[in-house]
Amino acid sequence: MTDVSYPDVVTLAVPLFVAAILAEIVWIAVRGRDGHAGRYETRDALTSLLMGTGNVVSGLLLGFIAWGFFMMLWQITPLDLGTAWWVVVLCFVLDDLRYYWVHRFGHRIRWVWASHVNHHSSQHYNLTTALRQTWTGTFTFMMIVRAPLILLGFHPAMVLFVGGLNLIYQFWIHTEAIGRLPRWVEAVMNTPSHHRVHHGRNARYLDANYAGVFIVWDKLFGTFVAEDDREKVDYGLVHNLGTFNPLRVAFHEWVAIFRDVTRPGLTLRQRLMYAVAPPGWSHDGSRETSDQIKARHRAAPPGDAEGPGLARP
Amino acid sequence: MPLWLLATIVVVGLAAVALLTHLLGWSRARAFVDEAEAMRAWDREFSADPARRADLLPGGHAAVVHSVRGTGLVWTMGLDSTARPLEGARLQQTRRGLTIRFPDMAAPSVTLPLDPSERDDWHRRLQETLT
Ligand SMILES: [Zn+2]
Ligand SMILES: [Zn+2]
Repeated sequence: MTDVSYPDVVTLAVPLFVAAILAEIVWIAVRGRDGHAGRYETRDALTSLLMGTGNVVSGLLLGFIAWGFFMMLWQITPLDLGTAWWVVVLCFVLDDLRYYWVHRFGHRIRWVWASHVNHHSSQHYNLTTALRQTWTGTFTFMMIVRAPLILLGFHPAMVLFVGGLNLIYQFWIHTEAIGRLPRWVEAVMNTPSHHRVHHGRNARYLDANYAGVFIVWDKLFGTFVAEDDREKVDYGLVHNLGTFNPLRVAFHEWVAIFRDVTRPGLTLRQRLMYAVAPPGWSHDGSRETSDQIKARHRAAPPGDAEGPGLARP
Repeated sequence: MPLWLLATIVVVGLAAVALLTHLLGWSRARAFVDEAEAMRAWDREFSADPARRADLLPGGHAAVVHSVRGTGLVWTMGLDSTARPLEGARLQQTRRGLTIRFPDMAAPSVTLPLDPSERDDWHRRLQETLT
């Protein structure tokens, strides 16, 4: 099996992305005057779209690194599962499990967060937010998490193909225009409601719902938090950005890591921790990690201290 | 899909989103209506260090906040807001007003539009909090 090829589905989906975004804008203008259908802001939306464009460009420029790594693995593995339809389906499901863990690392390891943070840097939640994608994914080395799939005999082209489908699935869930879907859908699939929680900066919504396509992974690994109608999701970062400049959005956390790691007077272990500990870790306790934020909220106002997302680990 | 077609769709899409949202009035910057709103915006960013008092700047796009631990600035970002402590910030008078530079790649600077008559006063008030 030498010439396995699949269409570049993400590129093909771009016209659909544009059409859906324009449709959402019109929908909000017509139906959502009180904001319940979503919100757009010009500069925020443009920044998101430029981040998406930059993501595609960085893929064109740096994609060869991951591809070279995958093809190297493909050379050494003795396994080849072929290209039957059920192999593609299996690959899609296993790659979604891969996505869950890469995404979880993306929130719990600052080195990976430096790349993923930009996806969360908008205070809006609309279809343009879906396209606010990283430019620096290659530098996280998270392509390693795909290695088992290729070593198991899934062709690299198939792995990238299902990864593209995964990304396309996640596009439409970035909206406030859809409330809740039928029970069985909410039970199995990642939905606008579940993913709104993931974009929340509320203490109870931090580090929840890492799923790509199937929400079952979060339920399985204990990271699922349901959207609570009594606590509206507040979108964005714990400390929101003060810039719309795409270059700053793309690189600010890498610069912050560099500054922390090269501070004078730290031990070697502290320098390492600034790069790989959860975001918000500090050697002197001057910042808060998500665990510490949750602990503070558990301790603070009565009535707020219980429920999903704030339960003691 | 050829690259030129992809690029065309992206450029046209970006322009359409910019134009449509602007015509719908969604590019108007938010302004804080009063000190209480500015303080709520501060508390949203620094819930562990709540605001005690705020001085709203003319125009309402920013406010100097006196919190439990020190002084900070809260300002509007599009329809939303953000905030930073003023510790380590540098002040500079410009033609448009007063520019505050933060030692933070994610929030590099804010320019507070101020009339020449108000500039010195706010410069002095902010400088006092920094020293
Ligand atoms: Zn995330
Ligand atoms: Zn998202």
